[in-house]
Amino acid sequence: MAARWPAAAAILIVALQLMPVHRSNPPATADLSAPPEISSMLRDACYDCHSNHTRWPWYSAIAPVSWIVYRDVAEGRRRLNFSDWDAYASDPGTARRKLTQIADLVIAGKMAPWYYRALHPRARLDPAQRRIIARWAATQAQGAGR
Amino acid sequence: MRFVHLVTFSAVLLAVCALTAQTECSDSPIFTIRAEAGHFTPSQLEVAANQPFTVRVTSAEKTPIEFESFELRRERVVRPGETISVNMPPLGPGTYKFFDDFHRDTPEGAIVVK
Repeated sequence: MAARWPAAAAILIVALQLMPVHRSNPPATADLSAPPEISSMLRDACYDCHSNHTRWPWYSAIAPVSWIVYRDVAEGRRRLNFSDWDAYASDPGTARRKLTQIADLVIAGKMAPWYYRALHPRARLDPAQRRIIARWAATQAQGAGR
Repeated sequence: MRFVHLVTFSAVLLAVCALTAQTECSDSPIFTIRAEAGHFTPSQLEVAANQPFTVRVTSAEKTPIEFESFELRRERVVRPGETISVNMPPLGPGTYKFFDDFHRDTPEGAIVVK
């Protein structure tokens, strides 16, 4: 009886692959403009979930992990999508809010999330890098108007 | 002499057109939403398609609210007693939901573009 479990698990995993997720990178309308140093850190630490330039890892093609990755990217893009920055910027108050949140969440170490950092070494920002991003975002927010 | 009159008339006409266009632009429709007692009033706005507009959000809540819409790419904090103006771009026909991200139990509202 116990010998049947691995076979059943294998069949289940194969069956799960019949429900793929749509891993897409829509065209970027207008990415956030930032100095190269800032842009590089944002790309490494944030862009996989918060832009249309997602680097889909190999395991994002395998269910059920693919479902989790897809959900994280979809939610990340809904909350903040650097590739849609022009849309935020057309309402200065929104741009200011987004930038303020970037500063707050990055300096607090809440972004990128720990489970993402665990799998993506390049997303591990050190305290100095966090301060640089936060300072830049806070300065930009002040210029974005209310 | 006739030529001078023609030029003068054209210049006046151009000036009037430019002034009218500017006035129309600055006169984009303004809609008002009030957040009070855990509700947006009205909860639904109807606006014309392909025309920019402004939504003024006033909060009569006791704590800050966050007027947010994923579809509209808008996110604004409104403090108690404060009124904010949210610029909206020309939109295609459809329904664009908005909500209070600080109070997710507040019923969602929608901007219906026709």
